[in-house]
Amino acid sequence: MHSEPKPVRVWDMPTRLFHWSLVASFATAFITSESEKLRDIHVAAGYTLAGLIAFRLLWGFVGGGYSRFAEFLPTPQKLVDYLKSLINGNPQHYVGHNPAGAVAIFLLLGFGIVAAASGWATYEDIGGHFMEELHEAAANGMMAIVVIHIVGVIVSSWLHGENLVLAMITGWKKMRSPSHENPAG
Amino acid sequence: MRHLPVIAAAIFTVGAHAETPRDFLARFEKEAGTAASAERGARFFTTKQGGEWSCASCHTDKPTQAGRHAKTDKAITPLAPAANAERFTDAAKVDKWFRRNCNDTLNRVCSAQEKADVMAWLLSLK
Repeated sequence: MHSEPKPVRVWDMPTRLFHWSLVASFATAFITSESEKLRDIHVAAGYTLAGLIAFRLLWGFVGGGYSRFAEFLPTPQKLVDYLKSLINGNPQHYVGHNPAGAVAIFLLLGFGIVAAASGWATYEDIGGHFMEELHEAAANGMMAIVVIHIVGVIVSSWLHGENLVLAMITGWKKMRSPSHENPAG
Repeated sequence: MRHLPVIAAAIFTVGAHAETPRDFLARFEKEAGTAASAERGARFFTTKQGGEWSCASCHTDKPTQAGRHAKTDKAITPLAPAANAERFTDAAKVDKWFRRNCNDTLNRVCSAQEKADVMAWLLSLK
């Protein structure tokens, strides 16, 4: 028996704006990273990214429902259970961030902070060659997480029969089955 | 065990980047298959090569002096080894910055000949 898909509000407006602005600023910074002619744009994109991350850190504490860090703080137990459920072919369903996605988010925020800080230092001629290397490593770390994230979104959308990209645009998810975890708020 | 010194030397070499500016001149000349020309290098460095910038736009036409970034106006330490002992001592760094800066000035990579010529000129500066 299939119950009628029920729309659920998942991502609030600030979270969605943050997400797509981060996409734009990171893409801009990455594309302009090889050129001195585009250095101004690269630096502006980097500062934008830093500001966005600062906002997200704040929103993780004062934002609503699924945006809060406390809601998707991954524990080793949750992560192992989730990964096991993927391997078993019976994936646990989370309305908000699943534990693997949550790990990726914290890594992305961490790499983003390191990339922005080391980029600023490099631009101000602080830290020399080491800062330059750190900046590139952090940015490549971010790109690696982004690639894993996109693969995860595609696989997860397919496994659960839901359009996660659309959910990050509209803020709504259509739930076909009872969710694994459904926090209040 | 008798390979240990060889392995240790290899690791040390990779870790230390113990190149000198002359090593790069030799490497680029070898890749180009011809001798470098300092005169040609000077011309290449100080004139535009089809792009909006020449090398001198940032490094000045006297690379024993400090330069200034043509976009951000940030100070750039001298490029000529005689004025700056840190220059051309790390292969990864040299390859990285030739790749980036050739793209900015020529919209393509530099040939081994062009790099050899620039090295010869920079090494001739006192």
